[in-house]
Amino acid sequence: MKAIDVKNITKQYGDFFAVKDLSFDVPSGSVYGLLGPNGAGKTTTIRMIMNVIIPDKGSIRVLGEKMSEKMKRRIGYLPEERGLYPKMKVGELLVFLAQLKDFRGNQAKDAIDKWLKRFSLLEWRDKKVEELSRGMQQKVQFIATVLHKPELIILDEPFSGLDPVNTKLLKDIMLEMRDEGVTIIFSTHRMEQVEMICDNICLINKAQSVLKGNLDEIKKEYGKNMVILEYDGNARKIRDYPDIEKLDDYGKYMEIKLKDGADPQKLLSSLAGKVKIDRFEIKEPTLNAIFIDKVGEKNE
Amino acid sequence: MRFLSIKWGRKMNKIFAVLKREYIQIVRTKAFILATILGPVIIAAFIFVPILVSVISVGDQERIGVIDVSQEVYQELEEKLDFKLRDGRRRYILEEYKVTDDPEQLKEGLNQKVLAGDLSAYMYIPENIIEGGTVEFAAENVSDFEKVSSISKVLNTVIVEKRLKEAGLDPGKVSKYMEQVDFKTQKVTKKGVEEDTGGTFIISYILVLILYMTLIFYGQIVLRGVIEEKTSRVVEIVLSSLRPFQLMAGKILGIAAVGLTQYLIWAVFGIALSSYGSSLVSGFFPQASGFKIPSIPAYVFVYFVVFFILGYFLFSTLYAAIGSTVNSEKEAQQLGTPLTMMLVIPILLMMFVMRSPESTLSVVLSLIPFFSPILMLLRICILLPPFIQIFGSILLLILTTIAMVWLAGKIYRVGLLMYGKRPSLPEIIKWVRYK
Repeated sequence: MKAIDVKNITKQYGDFFAVKDLSFDVPSGSVYGLLGPNGAGKTTTIRMIMNVIIPDKGSIRVLGEKMSEKMKRRIGYLPEERGLYPKMKVGELLVFLAQLKDFRGNQAKDAIDKWLKRFSLLEWRDKKVEELSRGMQQKVQFIATVLHKPELIILDEPFSGLDPVNTKLLKDIMLEMRDEGVTIIFSTHRMEQVEMICDNICLINKAQSVLKGNLDEIKKEYGKNMVILEYDGNARKIRDYPDIEKLDDYGKYMEIKLKDGADPQKLLSSLAGKVKIDRFEIKEPTLNAIFIDKVGEKNE
Repeated sequence: MRFLSIKWGRKMNKIFAVLKREYIQIVRTKAFILATILGPVIIAAFIFVPILVSVISVGDQERIGVIDVSQEVYQELEEKLDFKLRDGRRRYILEEYKVTDDPEQLKEGLNQKVLAGDLSAYMYIPENIIEGGTVEFAAENVSDFEKVSSISKVLNTVIVEKRLKEAGLDPGKVSKYMEQVDFKTQKVTKKGVEEDTGGTFIISYILVLILYMTLIFYGQIVLRGVIEEKTSRVVEIVLSSLRPFQLMAGKILGIAAVGLTQYLIWAVFGIALSSYGSSLVSGFFPQASGFKIPSIPAYVFVYFVVFFILGYFLFSTLYAAIGSTVNSEKEAQQLGTPLTMMLVIPILLMMFVMRSPESTLSVVLSLIPFFSPILMLLRICILLPPFIQIFGSILLLILTTIAMVWLAGKIYRVGLLMYGKRPSLPEIIKWVRYK
């Protein structure tokens, strides 16, 4: 079953296309990554899925139905532009947001305490939101998104601004929820996060989709002609090697794409003695490499 | 039907949740508690403090110097200027200063005494006073109207009597002939004729000002609330659960409930004040008995609440729309000024309408929807206009409000999610046409 089915949607502001003829579908119970550089059209797409803005053309079906007000209860949405009422107490605010989802009573209170505990925020329940740090506020926003046990969770840049510890916590929770059958779609421009948790992706650039499908299949398609090299020494000696098609050097770490048919073993033997090699690994291309390849510009 | 009612119930639940949040958040702020308690205290203070001060204060004796060049006035002035302090002592003690060759030098000396506090004032009565000269009254403080006028009155009586005697007339008779005609104002109402002691004017003025201030005050609360939701970026989270219109409705209703709560508290206070106030005052201070707090007819209160609610809905929806288009309170002040002017203009027209409440212009002005809450209420306070006029203004107000709610809802929906540059008017008009 498709949790989200987007067909040929277009959104235009004057002459500018925010999204152009975009189609993709999100399988139920999977984690779906919506990737793309800043300004590619990810947030516009998500807002159209949420019915916050209406597409000029195309259709969107969510959980098998046309998006409507009563669907909002089955969905958890963390927008990119997010914040909380600064003067409200954390607990009160969560009760309020749960009420808006028709989730009330003791059940809601228990769920709030459970989530606050999970994020180590229980002792902040009776503090005002404005007393919380930005990271803590972000965790509260996430709790508000998932509190009412939605079937579908839509997260716009969920990891932005989180420290590594909380990034890991959020990732773990997302995977746990997937295992419980929840469908998750999230947008990001950080490739390593997608690689860790996504089953499927859609890569958007300049309002259009440039690559989509199952992550493993996409990687396989690109073939095993990627070499990861950790080294110490003069990189020029590596660059001179004739069979290299593309090279991304980070100083001590290098991603090398070889020409079709080139033998990585030959590269290894030619490098021996010229530089100190700490790691030499032949693998599928990283998503970062695919991204750069497709988008044609370097991503942070 | 059952399904429909569940759906309806859900929608109302969400609006009610927003309403409750707004209400609780505002009612427990210090600003609200202070305004609610201090409001009546300040009004009560305005009414009671002057009475109490005049009742309690004994006052001090004052020494007033008199230079009587005419040599005819001092004796009688001393006799007649016999105001008493509360403890029975004379309020004014006169001191005569004999005229010298150099009156200017004498005055200069008295100036010094006034400055030093030996005298509170002095009078210079010229030689030709009986023929119509001018008396000079010099003091450090000449703005005590009651003191100056009471002294000048006594002085007048003394001099006029002298003039009459010189002309061979009997002052007693003349003053009887000259007695002022009694002029009693009476207000004609449906219930008959009742005496009006100027209370109508004051009550109308106070009620209309309260309406004006609360409309602006609560309109601003709505405005600030919308801006807070926008700038704190909470709005899109909230909108993932309900429609923009539900959010707007909940907010406006919640703040209306705050306003009505405040009125209720003030009304209880006001009723207590007008029923027990007089007896309370005279109980503590028997000297002040006879003091009467004017009473207000019940229908005025009813119309007051009706016009507050309707005016509030009209203005607050527009304030909400303005709040949704801006990114800061500063921008909102600029954009909100024309709307606030719609409340200020009727206040400027108040005096005119009070003077001629039944002129065609007053009738027309009080039917214009943005002006009618203030001007129609004012006309109701002064003299109850024909019911058809009141009904007409209420109907026009309701129709305009519905149109504005529709318009504001459209602007609000788009504006809430627009950050960055403030939109121009053509852009806002374009928003209204969005589907």
